Formats: sequence, structure tokens, C-alpha cells
Amino acid sequence: MSERKIGDVILKAENISLSFGGVKALTNISLDVREHEIRAIIGPNGAGKSSMLNVINGVYHPQEGTITYRGEQRKDMDTNAAAQSGIARTFQNIALFSGMSVLDNIMTGRNLKIKSSFIEQALWIGRARREEMENRKVVEEIIDFLQLQHVRKTPVARLPYGIKKRVELARALAAEPNMLLLDEPMAGMNVEEKQDMCRFVLDTNDQFGTTIVLIEHDMGVVMDISDRVAVLDYGKKIGDGTPDEVRNNPEVIKAYLGAH
Amino acid sequence: MIYRESGQYKTSYLNDSQIFPIKQDRYAVLAFIAFAFLAVPFIATPYFFSAILIPFLIFSLAALGLNILTGYAGQISLGTAAFMAVGAFAAYNFMLRVPGMPILLAFILGGVCASIVGIVFGLPSLRIRGFYLAASTLATQFFVVWCLTKVPWFTNYSSSGVITAQEVKILGFHFNTPEEKYLLVLAIVCVMALLAKNMVRSTVGRSWMAVRDMDVAAEVIGFKIMRTKLTAFAVSSFYCGVAGALFAYCYVGTVEPDAYNLDLSFRILFMVIIGGLGSILGSFLGAGFIVLLPIVLSYIVHVTGLPNSVTSNVELMVFGALIIFFLIVEPHGLARLWQVAKEKLRLWPFPH
Repeated sequence: MSERKIGDVILKAENISLSFGGVKALTNISLDVREHEIRAIIGPNGAGKSSMLNVINGVYHPQEGTITYRGEQRKDMDTNAAAQSGIARTFQNIALFSGMSVLDNIMTGRNLKIKSSFIEQALWIGRARREEMENRKVVEEIIDFLQLQHVRKTPVARLPYGIKKRVELARALAAEPNMLLLDEPMAGMNVEEKQDMCRFVLDTNDQFGTTIVLIEHDMGVVMDISDRVAVLDYGKKIGDGTPDEVRNNPEVIKAYLGAH
Repeated sequence: MIYRESGQYKTSYLNDSQIFPIKQDRYAVLAFIAFAFLAVPFIATPYFFSAILIPFLIFSLAALGLNILTGYAGQISLGTAAFMAVGAFAAYNFMLRVPGMPILLAFILGGVCASIVGIVFGLPSLRIRGFYLAASTLATQFFVVWCLTKVPWFTNYSSSGVITAQEVKILGFHFNTPEEKYLLVLAIVCVMALLAKNMVRSTVGRSWMAVRDMDVAAEVIGFKIMRTKLTAFAVSSFYCGVAGALFAYCYVGTVEPDAYNLDLSFRILFMVIIGGLGSILGSFLGAGFIVLLPIVLSYIVHVTGLPNSVTSNVELMVFGALIIFFLIVEPHGLARLWQVAKEKLRLWPFPH
């Protein structure tokens, strides 16, 4: 892993605070992500990990703090702007389009690449047809990459859980993101599925140089694959650093194992 | 045995994304369309055209419009008949007030007017959904009919509020007989169904389904929710508008605003639900079911020789019971049944 070139900081969240009514979800959190790295966010349930991802891609708007993405500083992200600037994500509870086939689901990930108007698409002429085919080609490459060939035309609702998670990753990858936010990609999987998923995450990072921000509960996975780990607890950041540093951080040990 | 796809290899993505990827389907559909265009005009009676085929096609088109909005984009609407009314009355006024207006252009402009009304009344969908949206589209229904009744300009100051559709004439050819009108409607419906199919297999269709299935994820991927919903309203209303214009010009001929009442909206909603939400074919099956069922029922009841008052009530009861039966047995509609049958047929006669 060490031979991968980790670049400069591309995303920097500073002093983010987010609350819903009286409930403080995030308190004064600062987090940076470097290009091409795998950055994990861990923490007990309700620590604010998912909220942090939602802030990064604009689903939630923090009351305080700033986000700088690729040199552009703003108060909060907007989901569309995030998608446009190459941030893709998966969700903790699978958020696939259940009425569509695997292929169509992944094709939706390409939507920003499609420029033809709906009238051209209705007539199925020229640009619309060409774009459809070009994007289909990219999607097929992703299907190959994630080994989803056998379920290509299956409606998503009929698939087992582990495959659904993979389809969701495929949909996110279809956008050719610079940064990929993965919200518990391995939750509820068995060891084999976890291994597969780990391999896909590492391969993605390796082959496409995608920056990955990952929330995960499985410590083994996190410590193995991530370059740096941030630890949240009760909406506050209690640790940050390489897996080894985090593992030996007394605050983190306290949060995970209880006070000693 | 005959319905096999073995040996049909797709060698390009274009090949794979055809509307009917299986060869047998393709030929069957082409044969069916050819039959509808070439053979039906010679075998059907005028009654058959004006009481069954023409209404079936027009309702199919309206159901297709509603299916785009409700089935594909997931926005419930009870205003279908209102959009049809806008289409009909707009086409009428274009024909009336613009000299030399070609009728097909008037139909299209009628559809465009319906689209605009659809976009305006679709705005609430950005904030509300489900039953609340249904209630707000109900407002469309009442407002449009009220407006067409109250403003005499729309009906050209006709004292009874009834408009008589102008003669249908394209490039000097008059469409007078039911048979000719049938062919015109059939051609329009075929073209519009093809366009709808193209839309739902492209990005615009995927954007509708994405918003329907999981709007947060759709937004995160980069779809613009507002634009997607309003496009669905616009396209759907366009289809309904054209259907409404055809309803006036090729089916009833003389029409008052009240013909496009809530009852009609519900009928079309039933067609979509029974035919299958989110299916182009389902719109046709549902329309066929709803148009044909009362005719078949009245025929059956008629044969039994019961008094008239009984027969009409029995008809209603059986109709209601059948709808409930269908919803319980196959909530995904006739289109789903058809699909299941086809999957079975692929394996027949060796199911294992």
C-alpha cells in the first residue's frame, strides 16, 4: 500500500457543527482527506459518522463550519454541486432504485455524462443513442470489474443483500468519481462477502486512484485497508491518525472498551 | 418450444437495448401492428370502430400519459381528465381562431397547452407527495372544468357550453368515417407509444424511476429533482392533452367541459393500476380491460334476460368485484401477468 502516491489534501472540513433541533449531531469537527487515500471514519453507533458523510456531500447543511473541496471553500455543500464535482457515495441502508434492473441502476450513475435532451431521447436519434451506447460501454466495464455480469438484467429488488451492496458501489463508480464516500459497505456481510468487498474497494483505489472515505464497524477491515482513521464519539472527534496511532490512543480505547 | 431465444446473440449494445430484444416478440408486435393497420379496417364494423377500438386507443393514450407520471415518476395524479380537457379545448380554439391551422399541429399545440398547465399544477409535487399530492391534483380537476365552464371564450360563447369539433382534415384528406378516424388515432397512438418507450429506456426515464424509487439517492447521483418531476408532469400532460383532443375530435365529436370530469380521471387511474404501473404495455392492457369489460358484461347479462334495472346494477357490482380481485391477485397488474406468462413460455414444455 505504501507505494501508492498519496497527494495533497483535497477535502477539508473545518469546525463543522450540525444539530437537529436541540440534538447535537456533530460538534466542532475538523477532518481532512488527501487525494488517493483511503480514509476511514469509525466510532460507536450514533457517533455522527453518517452525519459527517451527509455533510460532505450536501444532504445535511451544518450550522457552523466550512468545507473546502478542491480549493473551493464554502459554508455547506449542495448535493448537486457535490455530484457535479465528482463526489459519489453509497448509503448505509441500501438506497438502490428497487424497481429497475441492475444495468439501469448503474446507468443512472452516468446521468451527469448524458447531455442530450429528453426530446432527442424520445426520438432515439443521433446524440441520444450514441450517448446511451457510449455510457453503456463504461457501465459494462464496471459490471465486469465488480463481477455483476450474471445479474445484469435482474430487477434489483430480487437480489440478495451482498450483491445489492455491490450494485450500489457500481452505481457510485459509474460516475467516475474523484471521491467515493462509502457508508458501511460491509455491514451485515459474511466473511467472504467482506473479503470480496475489501478487494473491490482496494482495487478501485488502486486502479482509478479514487479517494475513498469509508465508514465501517469491522475493526479488522478498517485497520487493514485504511491509510488514516478518524474516530468520532458523541459527535466529537476523539482521535485521528494512522491505524497504529489510533489503536494506541487512550481516548479511543476508552470509547470502545469503556472506562478502565 | 417456439418461444426460445437460444441462438440469438447480441453482438452490440445497440442490439441489446432494442425495445423487443427477443426476435419472436419483435415479429409478433410487427405482425400485430400490421394487422391493426391493414386487416382490421376490412373486418371491423362501424360499431366496432366507434364503440370499442377508437375509445380503447384514446384511453390507452391517456393511460400511457398517466402511467408516465404515476407509474414511472411515482407522482399520483387525479387530474388526468383535466389535462385531457385542456388539450381538447386548446386544440378546438387553435382550429377556430387560427386560419389554416393544420389539425395535427392543433393536436400538438393542445398537448403543449396541457403540458404548461401540467407544469403549473405539478409545482406542488416539489413539496408534497403521496395522498397530499393526489389531493392537490384534484384541485386541477375542479379548477380546469370550472374555468372552461365559466369563461365562455373557451367554448366560443356557445350557449350550452358545448363545442363541436371541427372536421378532421389532413392534406386535403377528410377523416369522416369511423374507419378513417380509427386509422388516424391508431397512427398517432403508435408513434406516441414508441416515443414513450424510447423515453423510458433512456436517461429521462431512468431519472423518473430514480425519483420514484429513492429520491435522496437520485439527488445524490446528480439528478435534479425539480426538473425531473416537472418533466414528468409536462410529458404526461402532453400525452393526456393529445388524448383529450382525440377524444373530442375522433370519438365523441361534440363535447362539453363536464365530459372531462373526475369520473374520467378515476377511470384512467383504474386502467393504469389494473394494467400495471410503470409499464407501457400495461397502459394498453388496462385500457382494453376497462373499455371491454362493461361491454362484455352487459352482453352476458343481456343474454340472461334479466330486466334492465337489474342488469346495469349487476354490471357495476361485477366490475367492482373484478377490480378488487385483480388488485389482490396481481397488484402489479395485467402487464406483470403477461410477463410471468412469457417467462413460463420460455421454458415450456421443459420447466426444469
